Amino acid sequence: MILSLYKKILQILRRKKNIQLGFYGPVNAGKTTLANRISLDWLGKEIGKVSEIPHETRHIQKIENVVIKTNNGELRMNLIDMPGIATEIDYKKFQAYGLSEEEAKRRAKEATKGVIEAIKWLDSVDAVLVVMDSTQDPFTQVNITIIGNLEARKVPMVIVANKIDLPEANPSRIENAFPQHVVVPVSALTGENIEKLYEAIQKHLT
Amino acid sequence: MKIQLDFISSERLSGMKPMEKIDLILNKIKKDIIVVLEEGLTPEEEKELIEATMREIDIENFHGIEFYRIDHKASFRDKLAFYLTGKKQTGLTIVGPAKMIEAIKREPEGVITMIAKLMPGL
Repeated sequence: MILSLYKKILQILRRKKNIQLGFYGPVNAGKTTLANRISLDWLGKEIGKVSEIPHETRHIQKIENVVIKTNNGELRMNLIDMPGIATEIDYKKFQAYGLSEEEAKRRAKEATKGVIEAIKWLDSVDAVLVVMDSTQDPFTQVNITIIGNLEARKVPMVIVANKIDLPEANPSRIENAFPQHVVVPVSALTGENIEKLYEAIQKHLT
Repeated sequence: MKIQLDFISSERLSGMKPMEKIDLILNKIKKDIIVVLEEGLTPEEEKELIEATMREIDIENFHGIEFYRIDHKASFRDKLAFYLTGKKQTGLTIVGPAKMIEAIKREPEGVITMIAKLMPGL
């Protein structure tokens, strides 16, 4: 009886708190698609809505108690899907996607708040997936700023070279741009290479 | 339309707190001035610059910024100069109003390209 109680207390003390895993990156890199993929794979439900219109994710979306299991063990996490980081938000760009002026202005206002919220959370996450679109130039200031801040705080990160299902994808550009970090090419949309990402999360973010 | 570029020396920047630098940058950007700082902002300052920009965005008149930090890779001579003079070479930061600048990006062979938007009267 006493022994089992002792074991239970030890178990509770040893239980690590859930890792707060943030999804950071520029707008339209596929952060929510990736968060949905991970959430679907391990919890059977999605985390948020996906759209081709920029700044679809304008509020932080969180899903708790996701347990990833790989050959190297299991990892308990809270997934925190962040709004995309941007330095410019012009409502007229949303109108090109068919939004009315009023809708576009509302989206722009919400998007600015979303960026601020995501930046604030940089101080609270335990580990990060930096999601980049592998069809785009990775040498952007947004990518450099995100990675620079994570490096300064010594937050473990894995760079996800997303959208490898697209013919123009070139994940090696991302690998060459950030050779000091682990880069995993995936397609969050099709699930291609996603197992490699789970192994990288287990290996590098714990 | 004329384009104004303001260069801000490292001497002037050295005595400024991060938020003072950011206020200086954004005040100029909002007057459609492109700013070149004779130092690289730190990642923390860059984060503050993005956050301050988002707070300043005005749906009709100010849509944000484009910026790029060019790091200076210190050579042996630079390190020696720093040791002797205490003056550190830390690169450059270019910041422009998003309505004027399409992109600032690094091209192969270390060339930094600033692409301006076509504006009426330019």
